[in-house]
Amino acid sequence: MRTHIKELRARYDLTQEDLAKMIGVRRETILFIEKGNYNPSLKLAHDIAKALQTTIDELFIFD
Amino acid sequence: MKGKKEIIVATVVVAGVLLTLFFYLMGTGEIELNQIGLVGIAIVLVGLAMYIIWDKISNVKKGLPEKDERTISISYKAGYYGFIAAIWSAVFTPLFFDVSSEYELKGGDVTAIVVLVSAFVFVVSYLYLYWKGK
Repeated sequence: MRTHIKELRARYDLTQEDLAKMIGVRRETILFIEKGNYNPSLKLAHDIAKALQTTIDELFIFD
Repeated sequence: MKGKKEIIVATVVVAGVLLTLFFYLMGTGEIELNQIGLVGIAIVLVGLAMYIIWDKISNVKKGLPEKDERTISISYKAGYYGFIAAIWSAVFTPLFFDVSSEYELKGGDVTAIVVLVSAFVFVVSYLYLYWKGK
């Protein structure tokens, strides 16, 4: 699974730590989701999408 | 607050283990080879536990949670591996010593080995999963 988190973070000028604080997870969790090494729960995916003002469909690319 | 309490409890437990090891080593006259191995594993475990606590403290200091869904998930996985290791070591440790040496293990020795092996497997698999990301 790939994601657009990095691009959207850059659009809103957010670091991984900023995004992690916004949604209440550890910075490494954001890092591993971005790298495709961790599949988040539906709730976390929703929280990330909400924080980045997008939808889950637009955020995650299911290969 | 809950996270901070857990960190304090974990720090107290690590300090308690270190003190116990210290008094154990001071009280033992001659240390046998198998005791060195067990104490060595315990010291490695304490070191790894201190690293995990330090990592949690640094996250809390930055205003991040000390655990989230990923760390909870890897704790469960590592716990499962530790449980499997406990079962296998409980079965095979007495068999191994029976076959390979003349040293007869006491019940306490087997318990110590099972506890240390399962704790070692738990901590190592926790750190492996932690850095792998799964």
